[in-house]
Amino acid sequence: MIEARDVSVAIGKKRIVADVDFEVRPGEISAIVGPNGSGKTTFLKAMSGDLAHTGRIVINDRELSTMKPVEAATVRAVLPQATTLSFPFTVREIVRLGLVGGLAGMLPGENERLPERALARVDLEGFSGRFYQELSGGEQQRVQLARVLCQVWAPVLDGRPRYLFLDEPVSSLDIKHQLIIMNIARDFARRGGGVVAILHDLNLTAMYADRIFVMHRGRLAATGSPREVLSDELIERVFDCRLKVGVLPASDMPFVLPQSSVS
Amino acid sequence: MADQSIAGPVKAMGASEGDRSGRARAVILLLCLSLAIAVLLSLTSGASDASAVNVIRDWLFGTVPGDAALSARDSLIVYEIRLPRVILGMLVGAALAVCGAVMQGLFRNPLADPGLIGVSAGSSLGAVAVIVLGGTVLAPATALLGTLALPFAAFFGGLATTLVLYEVATRRGQTSVATMLLAGIALAALAMALTGILIFMADDRQLRDLTFWSLGSLGGATWAKIASVGPIIILALAAMPFLARGLNALALGEATAGHLGIPVQRLKYTAIIGVSAAVGASVAVSGGIGFVGIVVPHLLRLLIGPDNRYLLPASALLGASLLLLADAVARTIVAPAELPIGIVTAVAGAPLFLWILLRKRGVIDL
Repeated sequence: MIEARDVSVAIGKKRIVADVDFEVRPGEISAIVGPNGSGKTTFLKAMSGDLAHTGRIVINDRELSTMKPVEAATVRAVLPQATTLSFPFTVREIVRLGLVGGLAGMLPGENERLPERALARVDLEGFSGRFYQELSGGEQQRVQLARVLCQVWAPVLDGRPRYLFLDEPVSSLDIKHQLIIMNIARDFARRGGGVVAILHDLNLTAMYADRIFVMHRGRLAATGSPREVLSDELIERVFDCRLKVGVLPASDMPFVLPQSSVS
Repeated sequence: MADQSIAGPVKAMGASEGDRSGRARAVILLLCLSLAIAVLLSLTSGASDASAVNVIRDWLFGTVPGDAALSARDSLIVYEIRLPRVILGMLVGAALAVCGAVMQGLFRNPLADPGLIGVSAGSSLGAVAVIVLGGTVLAPATALLGTLALPFAAFFGGLATTLVLYEVATRRGQTSVATMLLAGIALAALAMALTGILIFMADDRQLRDLTFWSLGSLGGATWAKIASVGPIIILALAAMPFLARGLNALALGEATAGHLGIPVQRLKYTAIIGVSAAVGASVAVSGGIGFVGIVVPHLLRLLIGPDNRYLLPASALLGASLLLLADAVARTIVAPAELPIGIVTAVAGAPLFLWILLRKRGVIDL
């Protein structure tokens, strides 16, 4: 599992993330929610090893700061919010970059077929020969997800779980593809991996997350299952707007209904 | 938004669509052939009518009895004048083209080029400093390094410029093109101003050396020069293929390259040092030869795509071939006089560069 304790991140003199405790268990999706500028992405960057931080981040019993790039690349893959390119790579060439570390967890011969299989999973079959720069934002996002999936194709490698870090994986997608992507994340977790996802859609979060971390002004405002965390009071306070939290009677799943006027 | 030439889907030669490695290998094979032809052409053409064909035949099959035409003069011209020139041309052409491709990968920008962003100017400053101050202030260095002093000084000039440029133009792993180009202009201007001061201080003999050197020419090629810069260029070029995978990943941004397991800092500094060494060595022997580094990789990206595993070797081959061709033109177009090769590459390269800019308008965000 991944355990973060007392993680703080400062950029310049400004503290963006303060004393965050966080965990991802194999088999679970941990969602991070919170308003814009609450430090979600900064925290995920610290967990990805991009930003200096204080506190401890331990992945599968290894301190993150002691891991080499290639070791970290073996246990987790990171999907950024958006990726722009300045060279005309084809979709296949981009997806194949997920294998640059060479540890997808597949037999050597299978690596060649992996890009096509990953593309099929994100509903981009037949896109191999297209140029990345010509795709729509949503399609580009799915190509990047296919690349990320190639990197950690097997959710468990040598008996140790691997992790997906997803920064707003569905933000530019239509509803069908939002569900496809979230199902991929759930499937990855079901097969023994762990998923961290920054999400904005609270209903999608309620539907898929096993554990929700609510961030507010750089700190954790609440942690727990969707049922524990999603309440009128907390969500209204954190997001500073009026909404109603209900529960779907059949599934006991909470849902969030925004009210039209800002508080 | 999309580039005209990249509109349709890529037809694959191999099994999978979008995989251009088969095509890339075929192109590299063709480029090997074209380099061989360029070498033969360069060896057999020139102001003198010395027959390289005879010399090569002689070299391959031994002297044919009765073939008195193969004079010592022919042999001298081919072995002592043309062959070193061809080898130097190949080294410099390959170095400039590969360095262009590597810098473009490093800056994530197809317009980065050692000549364009001030690296060559920095190298020139170093070289001029050695020519002018070699007898006085820098005497200990020239005494210590001998013929290596010039390439070393050019290397450090280029290295300093590249490091400053990278620090100025890069913020959180993203390189701003506008900042890069403007900083390059400023650094080049500064380097040229300092070069100007040095030229102002130079005496008549040094001025003559400087003028010949700065025109950009392969004319002074000797085996001694090859011995001094050849190892540097070959070493730097030999290191570049190891950067290819990392540079490919870097196309996705520094953070993502790191997430994919690439040691990004090491990659960046290896690339910067390698480029500075190769450009410095090239500038030291041949002066400023522009546009090879930007035109060659660009043409190849249109042909085989931006995968650096193929782009770097292909750039080396095409760069070497094109520079030999340019040198052949420089040697013959105003024979028996000789045009500086920098003029030839600029006349051919500058319009091509403008064409690239026109096609990229709207794609590249300045």
